Amino acid sequence: MIFLRYHGKVGTACAVGAWTATAGLILLAGFLAVRGWGVLDPAFFLSSPSRDPGRAGIGPALAGTLWLALLTVAFALPVGVGAAVYLEEYAPKNRWATFGESVVVSLAGVPSVVYGVAGLAVFVRAMGAGRSILAGGLTLAVLALPVVIATSREAIRSVPDGLRRAAYGLGATRWQVLRHQILPAAAPGIATGSCLAFTRAVGEAAPLLVIGAASFVTFAPQGPGDPLISLPTRIFAWTTHAQPEFGALAAGAAIALLLLLLAANLAVLAARRRMRRAYL
Amino acid sequence: MTPPASVPVLSAEGLSVSFDGRTALSNVSLELPRGRIVSIIGPSGCGKTTLLRCFNRMNELVEGAHTAGAVRFEGFDLYAAHVDPVEVRRQIGMVFQQPTPFPKSVFDNVAFGPRASGFKGDLHALVEEVLSSAGLWPEVAAELDAPALALSAGQQQRLCIARTLAVKPSVLLMDEPTSALDPTATARIEALVHSLKGTYTVVIATHDLQQAARLSDLTAFLDGGDLVEYGPTETLFTNPRDPRTESYLTGRAR
Repeated sequence: MIFLRYHGKVGTACAVGAWTATAGLILLAGFLAVRGWGVLDPAFFLSSPSRDPGRAGIGPALAGTLWLALLTVAFALPVGVGAAVYLEEYAPKNRWATFGESVVVSLAGVPSVVYGVAGLAVFVRAMGAGRSILAGGLTLAVLALPVVIATSREAIRSVPDGLRRAAYGLGATRWQVLRHQILPAAAPGIATGSCLAFTRAVGEAAPLLVIGAASFVTFAPQGPGDPLISLPTRIFAWTTHAQPEFGALAAGAAIALLLLLLAANLAVLAARRRMRRAYL
Repeated sequence: MTPPASVPVLSAEGLSVSFDGRTALSNVSLELPRGRIVSIIGPSGCGKTTLLRCFNRMNELVEGAHTAGAVRFEGFDLYAAHVDPVEVRRQIGMVFQQPTPFPKSVFDNVAFGPRASGFKGDLHALVEEVLSSAGLWPEVAAELDAPALALSAGQQQRLCIARTLAVKPSVLLMDEPTSALDPTATARIEALVHSLKGTYTVVIATHDLQQAARLSDLTAFLDGGDLVEYGPTETLFTNPRDPRTESYLTGRAR
């Protein structure tokens, strides 16, 4: 068996660690599947939450999470990539740039619940967005932003300098070099890093609970102005019920969330492959 | 109206360049006659690349670069306040040491420069023309859509030369264009450079002394940022005036 091959002491320790982690993940997924499998039927994905666990579903929450994902990407991707381009290609490399860089790095480590508190003050109250999908999407976008900036910077920095020089040497303007050489070359790296940031943000419950996610909404949100609901907060709400039937619902909703994030990751992976192929 | 042949295409006057206060080139003055091949030789770090990059304002892409003195192209100061470096680089093209094809198709590589400068004519005809000039057309005509990175290193470098010609520069700067290539590919590039003589003014930095002797009409010898000697290639190689030139050419350590 492959995992019993002897790799030396360090190799063996690493292999044990890797297989333990893998086993943990499989166990987790298996547990969820056993708990939640029974509730997974088409009606579960479409119907609204209900006091009757037999009829409850994740329809509105799923729609809310899709809305949140859309808004998060729509806000954080252009702003994050723009900031990264500015910092790498335009900003003078001085003390301020170093300071800005360290701020971005530390923001990436701020706990998500803190973003919730800030989102409540800024988007819900000061901006007057209320406890809406919009306020939630903006909060998650800000949460994802530091990681989007950091990984985009890394991707832009790893574009070979020869490519820049060659393009400038042919009389390209700064914008042309950026648009036709740097961004296409950095795109796969930006996509991978940003995807991680977005899946993490969209899976967050804490900041949405802080800004006030509705726990009981029976209609699917039609736009950013509708009440804030999401899958993670739906899962949280169900876990607070005492009856075991609601536990099964939470597990089923968790499976749905995992499948959604997995699908997003696979889509980005496929897009990245296409970009790489075009790149060669 | 083309200026008379006696007016140099490019000239440097008291040119000095430093990077973060470290001098790379000090007080260099020379004139490059039209339609000739000029080689710049000298040990590693002598300022060959820096001098080349002064001619199309590439040094200023490096942070901390400082240029003093004048560079004139057709009599105009390239570093005057109103001069756009992008325009300079369309007039004075550059080929780099490492072949750097863009990760795009052969066609798009050649078309990049003309597209960037808003070329309005027949792009396909232009691509065929410059690929033919670079001696690459027969090899790539059937696969213009193939990725440029799939070409051999020698083909890639000829592609880079074709790409530079597509912008229709009048001067071609080449920074050790064959140092990453095998002898066969090198010979092809040298033949190509030779064929460009007359149509273009070529400035070629090289550490290959035979190459400088074979190709160039004039040779400049740089050492430690100083222009030690500049003159007709044959004179410089057979009868150098400066003892530093002689010891470099004969490979003697000082």
